[in-house]
Amino acid sequence: MSAPIVLGIETSCDETAVGIVRGRTLLANVIASSVEEHARFGGVVPEIASRAHLEAMQPTIEKALTDSKLSLKDIDAVAVTAGPGLVGALLVGVSAATGLALGLDKPIYAVNHLAAHISVDFLTHDKPLDPTIALLVSGGHSSLLQVEDITSSIIKLGATMDDAAGEAFDKIARVMKLGFPGGPAIDLLAQSGDAQAIDFPRGLTTSNDWQTRPFDFSFSGVKTAVARYLEATPDYAKANVAASFQEAIVDVLLLKSVAACKATGIDSLVIAGGVAANSRLRALATQRCDKAGIRLRIPSPGLCTDNGAMVAALGSLMVAANRAPSPIAFDADSSLPVGVISLS
Amino acid sequence: MTISLAIDTSTSRTCVGIIDNGIMLWSGYQDGATAHGPALPALVAEAIANRTIDEVVVGMGPGPFTGLRIGIAFARSFALARNITVRGVCSLDAIAAQVDTHDFIVTVDARRKEVYWARYVDGVRVGHPAVSFPADVVGNQIHNDLFPDLAALVALQEEFAEPMYLRHPDAVATADR
Repeated sequence: MSAPIVLGIETSCDETAVGIVRGRTLLANVIASSVEEHARFGGVVPEIASRAHLEAMQPTIEKALTDSKLSLKDIDAVAVTAGPGLVGALLVGVSAATGLALGLDKPIYAVNHLAAHISVDFLTHDKPLDPTIALLVSGGHSSLLQVEDITSSIIKLGATMDDAAGEAFDKIARVMKLGFPGGPAIDLLAQSGDAQAIDFPRGLTTSNDWQTRPFDFSFSGVKTAVARYLEATPDYAKANVAASFQEAIVDVLLLKSVAACKATGIDSLVIAGGVAANSRLRALATQRCDKAGIRLRIPSPGLCTDNGAMVAALGSLMVAANRAPSPIAFDADSSLPVGVISLS
Repeated sequence: MTISLAIDTSTSRTCVGIIDNGIMLWSGYQDGATAHGPALPALVAEAIANRTIDEVVVGMGPGPFTGLRIGIAFARSFALARNITVRGVCSLDAIAAQVDTHDFIVTVDARRKEVYWARYVDGVRVGHPAVSFPADVVGNQIHNDLFPDLAALVALQEEFAEPMYLRHPDAVATADR
């Protein structure tokens, strides 16, 4: 039997995304984003996102089929993000996916958004993905995970106590009037700045923190420190602030990731999620992992942000591992724990 | 001969039916204002067993947004999967079809202490549905406790391509804060 063809649907935030894979081969990855509709509100508005998902859903599915030169009859299984995410947004994707699965009489895999982010890496090489440590960083999440088996066992080592890393980028970008989303804007500006110019705090890195919360993050302190610095320094150098702020975030993300690899004896690190598209994070991760003897994998920037290919990839892994499909009737779960990789 | 799969999630009741030229072959529902997500596929799975479906007809509201979208998203992709047509119709009209009086008003819950409503005279809707506080909806006869009739839903002719939200999303631009 040839490798199964899986169609994946992702609608957990503001991206309506459909991906199609055959085994580990990416056939289509179509994304319709409503980000421009949210920009003037400084963040994602759930009701606007949900309306945009419903409008974009069918055209996005059809475009993915066209790109892959397949018809729906060729699809062997449907996968969909069941959570975590915005519940109204998730439900559009979940309902579209269950409608497809029932219409096609094919199995459905209701999968975890975070596990999908990690599993997308499996589309880019043919080596086993797990076991690995995974750093998942986006606008909604910042977690360090121990992935024993991507289809059945993910253990949360730590997570942010307050803001997600991407959220901190958005907030600082807003204060500096760089627009939304803030990540790409700060990344670009930082390239002409001095990352050592200002010594912003690294959250949860005191010796006591390393004892009690070695793998947790906190980004509210650095955010406040930047805001105070901007207030106190009217003629601040924008590029230096961006570079120094970015360095503080990236530094602590990687300190804890490398420490997690050492503590667990796992010499593999996958970095995923929207913030994994950050150029400084990618460059510094390469340096530090080389030095520590850790095999580093970061998906291409286009596969780091929310997409349907990652959902299809996890579905494909579930099929390959003979995991049972999900029941056809299930609810989206806005706070689905990372340990629940698929609904059963 | 047309076998229709009828779906409505515009009220607190998830309604599914199979209608063959006006004859109800199968119908089922589940109550729960936040239960549409799992309820709809469970009902449809039972409804379509061993049947060939020729078209999907779905209520486009008005109704609370999240539940409403579940029915529409599901109906559209089921139709896509089966390569059959999907028609969107007005859910209030499918409620009104059960009332047999000269002049009446139908309302359904719109959350936030408001109702979606429309007036019907001699079985015909007067204007577009609206959203108002109940105190502002005035008429001789108001029906506020009915759910869509699926045979009537399938029989409706006027099509609506987009959901009837009747409200804008709540959000304030950063420039206006």
